[in-house]
Amino acid sequence: MNASGMKLSLGAYTALFLVFLYGPLVVLAILSFQTGPEGGPQFPIIEWSTYWYKHLFGLTPPSRIAPLPIEQALVRSLGLAVMTMIVSTVLGVTAAQAFRRKFRGSGVVFYLIVLGMMVPGVLVGLGMALVAKTLGIDRHWWSTAFVLHVVYTFPFAFLVMLAIFNRFDPSMEEASWSLGVTPARTFRKVTFPLIFPGVLSAMLFAFTLSYDEFSRTLFASGRDLTLPLAIYGTFSVEVHPNVFAFGVLTTLFSFALLGTYAALMMLSVRRAKRIAIQEEA
Amino acid sequence: MSTVLQLKNITKTYGDMRALNGIDLALPGDAYISLLGPSGSGKTTLLRVIAGFEHPDGGAILFDGKRIDTVPPHKRGIGFVFQNFALFPHLSVAQNIAFGLENRDVDPVADRRLVDTRVRDIISLVGLSGLEGRAVTQISGGQRQRVALARTLVTEPRMVLLDEPLGALDANLRARMRAELRAIRERCGVTFLHVTGSEAEALAMGDTVLVLESGRIAQSADSDTVYNRPASPAVARFLNCYNLFPGRIEGGVFVGGSGQFALGSATPSRAASPAYAIRYDRVSVRPREAAIAEDEIRIEANFVASEYSGAAVNSFFALDDGRVFEVESHLSHAAPETYAEQGRYALVWKREDALVYA
Repeated sequence: MNASGMKLSLGAYTALFLVFLYGPLVVLAILSFQTGPEGGPQFPIIEWSTYWYKHLFGLTPPSRIAPLPIEQALVRSLGLAVMTMIVSTVLGVTAAQAFRRKFRGSGVVFYLIVLGMMVPGVLVGLGMALVAKTLGIDRHWWSTAFVLHVVYTFPFAFLVMLAIFNRFDPSMEEASWSLGVTPARTFRKVTFPLIFPGVLSAMLFAFTLSYDEFSRTLFASGRDLTLPLAIYGTFSVEVHPNVFAFGVLTTLFSFALLGTYAALMMLSVRRAKRIAIQEEA
Repeated sequence: MSTVLQLKNITKTYGDMRALNGIDLALPGDAYISLLGPSGSGKTTLLRVIAGFEHPDGGAILFDGKRIDTVPPHKRGIGFVFQNFALFPHLSVAQNIAFGLENRDVDPVADRRLVDTRVRDIISLVGLSGLEGRAVTQISGGQRQRVALARTLVTEPRMVLLDEPLGALDANLRARMRAELRAIRERCGVTFLHVTGSEAEALAMGDTVLVLESGRIAQSADSDTVYNRPASPAVARFLNCYNLFPGRIEGGVFVGGSGQFALGSATPSRAASPAYAIRYDRVSVRPREAAIAEDEIRIEANFVASEYSGAAVNSFFALDDGRVFEVESHLSHAAPETYAEQGRYALVWKREDALVYA
């Protein structure tokens, strides 16, 4: 095959891949504009409307379809994701920092940490529920589920930071020490500003993984539901396009999050570029 | 001159490799000391042990008369200039230089104006005026070198360790920075310990030259002594200006694979194994039939090639046992001679010019 033919087929393959990737999302987005309250979650679109978006915010006249019971769940999920993000990132950064030096048993500790993202979520969730029951601990999203979220997202933050530290030039820290600066202050003034882009990535990982975590939360969160559980709960009754409208809004929220991340990254890109140039010289 | 740094029997092992094999040395205050060693001789390890980045397996380090083996790097008061400069890429030139003053544990300078004054003074000392606000990536290699030096000097350490500080610069700049480093050191009055793999740099810069050889100090002397009287065959080989022959001494004659050389009046230096050394520029090349004086030694060899370096020509000859013999002829003494390819010549030197190790 000649070069341009190769290019063409690779292009077609990529296009197909993108369709598979985003097709479901596009279908969902289209159906969210179905008319209401009589329109269902299927084609054809009877009439284009923003009824289901208004329905989400309680702006429509009362009908037989109950509003999505997500308000509390959304707050819980955001709270849980923020808590998880903070704790996992702090743990990830400190653990990766510890792994910069070889220590006795570092191999075992490494696999113990990574195990947290390998084991099946449902089993861990169930296990946590049993442990809580045996010990007589109440299950809550902010206690038992929170612990599981940290166990799950901490390895991701840890691996991201490990990769960042791998490329970090330790002589900059040694230079700071030799100027009389304590290791703690060196970390704050030299190391942290330079690894900050990596810390942002670790935070993003932890937040998004926790925000839509389902299987672990299912058994471990007790009475009060998180957002993924609440949405799943509405499926078991009857599916209306209001779920799709909510899906679109959550996706937009995720994009906003990514946008913030990108903006913060852009700010530190100049710094990263400077490092790159210094390494070349 | 008082001793500022003293090392006693320092050892350091990595796995099976002995990086430092019992280092003993005493460095005077207010001096430029160069530490010369081939790659793998442990010179960077020695520097890192003195700075506290690595811990020695045994021995004692005394700085200003106090033991510092267990003192962490930030409490030692010893500056370090890295080969890659290790500047802080998120800070400007002035911020890099002010970093130590503002952030050090002992006696940090909180007064903004005082910091500015000290930074301005050191910037003019190292010749960086006008670049204060630049990012450290917007300046040239030589300027970065100066920032690294200024950043260390502004904290007024008693001693500065420099790990191949000129290694990252191009040849032209390297020659200029040599003179500048010496001048800056004299103005600050601190001790510089300058590690290098280049014999020319070590000889040119050091008031004292230390030669490190497989984890030991092989020689510690001034440049002239090191160059003219290397303490061991290993030092002579590393200086890259001696033809060396292994062999043995039998009744006033050195017997080697390339020939037998009558010895001069000087007593041989002590060494682990006997060797005979003759400096490249002590040898003259003559036609085979030329007569020699009574105090001269002569061997025959085939001409291989020569290398022109401006002030001198280095000619390479193959001895009968395959060994390569190098002769350096200074062009200020005579016009360059051309030798016939594979031609056979006599190589002649004075008996007294040779160094003999036994």
